[in-house]
Amino acid sequence: MLDQLALLGAGLANLFDPLNFSMILLGLTVGILAGALPGITMLNAIVLVLPFTYLMEIVPSLLLMTSVYCGGVFGGSITGILFNIPGDPMNVPTTWEGFQLNKKGFVSKALGMAIMCSAIGGFLSALVMTVASPPFAKVALSFSSCEYFAVVFLGLASVVVIGTRSIGSALISLFIGLFLATVGMDDIYGVPRFTFGSRIMETGINFTTVLIGIFAIGEVLDQLSQKKKEGEIGRVRPKTTLPRLGEIWGLRNTILRGLGIGTVIGAIPGTGATVASFVSYGVEKQVSKHPEKFGTGVWEGLAASETSINASTGGAMIPLLTLGIPGSGATAVMMGAFLLHGIQPGPLLFSKSPEAVYTIFVGMLVCNLIMILAGLITAKFFSELMRVPENILSAFIISFCLLGAFALRNDMTDVWFMIIFGIVGYLMRRYDLPSPPLILGLILGPLAERYFLTTMIGCGNDWTIFFCRPVSGALMVISIGLLLMPFLRGLLKKGKKEVSTQ
Amino acid sequence: MGQNNPEGTRKNTVRNIKSLSGPILIFFLALFFFVLAGTLDENPMEGQLGPFFWPKSILILLMLSCGFKVLESFKGFGKGVADSGLEGPPIQVQTGKLVAMIVMLLAAVACMEMIGFPLCNFLFLLLFMRVAGLKKKSYLLILSGLGTILLLYIFVKVVYLPLPKGRWFFTDVTIFLYRFLHII
Repeated sequence: MLDQLALLGAGLANLFDPLNFSMILLGLTVGILAGALPGITMLNAIVLVLPFTYLMEIVPSLLLMTSVYCGGVFGGSITGILFNIPGDPMNVPTTWEGFQLNKKGFVSKALGMAIMCSAIGGFLSALVMTVASPPFAKVALSFSSCEYFAVVFLGLASVVVIGTRSIGSALISLFIGLFLATVGMDDIYGVPRFTFGSRIMETGINFTTVLIGIFAIGEVLDQLSQKKKEGEIGRVRPKTTLPRLGEIWGLRNTILRGLGIGTVIGAIPGTGATVASFVSYGVEKQVSKHPEKFGTGVWEGLAASETSINASTGGAMIPLLTLGIPGSGATAVMMGAFLLHGIQPGPLLFSKSPEAVYTIFVGMLVCNLIMILAGLITAKFFSELMRVPENILSAFIISFCLLGAFALRNDMTDVWFMIIFGIVGYLMRRYDLPSPPLILGLILGPLAERYFLTTMIGCGNDWTIFFCRPVSGALMVISIGLLLMPFLRGLLKKGKKEVSTQ
Repeated sequence: MGQNNPEGTRKNTVRNIKSLSGPILIFFLALFFFVLAGTLDENPMEGQLGPFFWPKSILILLMLSCGFKVLESFKGFGKGVADSGLEGPPIQVQTGKLVAMIVMLLAAVACMEMIGFPLCNFLFLLLFMRVAGLKKKSYLLILSGLGTILLLYIFVKVVYLPLPKGRWFFTDVTIFLYRFLHII
């Protein structure tokens, strides 16, 4: 314990080296900006900064990358709240609540709440990472594809809480998303599916194009095609107001749930922040006394999603540092940085390079605190855009989206997909078909299929295996409970009504 | 509501039938893909589910969901989660403007490879802002021009994105523009 404290102290001293500290500031700025721009993801940003670390020492280079990581997962929330354009799929649940809060006139507070919840989630998960890395990683290592499937299934089951007005519509939307995810080359057997002979279709439908299309293009078409009264057209410039301590205290249970879900799911390799934010949002809606208000601008939904996203960063570092297993794309690139500097992440890292490990620990703690300031500055910069009239801003948003979609693979097919899904997104709004379950299906579909088929191959197609193992069994029961909850609630309501009429 | 008000009941039924058109269309599309998956399905390895097991299962579930939606519309179950009466007044849509915007989007993507990104984006911004309601010609020209140049600097000069340069004569125009702006 004393050794740990001494190493933390040394890490803290290391951190205030001017180069190390400036790397944190630079990384946060790059990460938040990259996360906020649609089409440029946090992962892109980490990959882009990787070559700059060649000439650096291991500590500043890892601090740069971890701060890009921490800033990047938060950045997408800013444009989500301001313009209904989530920078990354993980920011989708934040956008559902944040943009509605913006519409209600709480944009400054929504931005402030997002910043604070991200910082709290990230800071506390970094603390958990520091204290509980080794035992945590052992548990995650015992997970097989069976448990992974159960975790993803839990994420998919949250569709019933995402579906706002009708479960039927939500399920249709989810299964369309799951089906679209099957287009392209099959991962397990290497067989092309529904590609109609097109080579570009073999790589599948990129969910970022669908995401940009449905949310950004759909939103622009929806907003501009509506007849508005004169008073509705003016735009305001929002400030960013940090929430008061009492307001955060009021959301303590939500934040703690988000922290737990984010850290645990982040630590499971292959899941990451996206699954964490969807599951956290879904759980929050289930435990809420007013689940019907979710999707209309609810603070709990925003806080749950934001806390879990940043909490997953600490969680994701645990298997990387202690076992050498990258849990996500971002940590995989970071593992590349370790290897570039001749360091092999894993149990031996703690004995061979303890100063590097503990500087990363302290770096992540401090990084999440500085993020409050960096978040405020970046949010202010993006808020300035709100002063621009809608007709100008919309045209530029579409231009950015066209470029964002093209930048994914330098291919016009993605741009076509984005436009088509933009029109689909608009029609879905008009016909009351919720778009979030479609996105959920598209993102989690490939993971669900891979883990399901791997499990089936491994256990002779015996599906009861999901219920026989303790962790997966518990998760499956919770998921089925989530799926049945609306019907049980309906029955309970009916029963109560009948009793009261008698 | 419907029982005491025959007009309301009729309106509800019409709305239900209208809302069913989507699920029915999706049902038949799912059926088409299910049949297609059946024809594409290769013999899986002995004892394995094969590459089309997952999409076929999803399509069956999709068709069942469409059936569920139909039942939901008439029986009213499944609405327990959140039919909270939160929907506002009906939204009035400017159909002409909407169609114009969609046509412009499709035209922009179709023309981008032909006339190159700079010219295409300039024209798109100009026309889109005009349709969206910006009337001042000087604003339109300046914003479209400066906006395009800014995007070119960010995405071509900084990010090195190989944006479409166009075909035939337009390639030369784009390259001339890049050189003029010191982008390449």
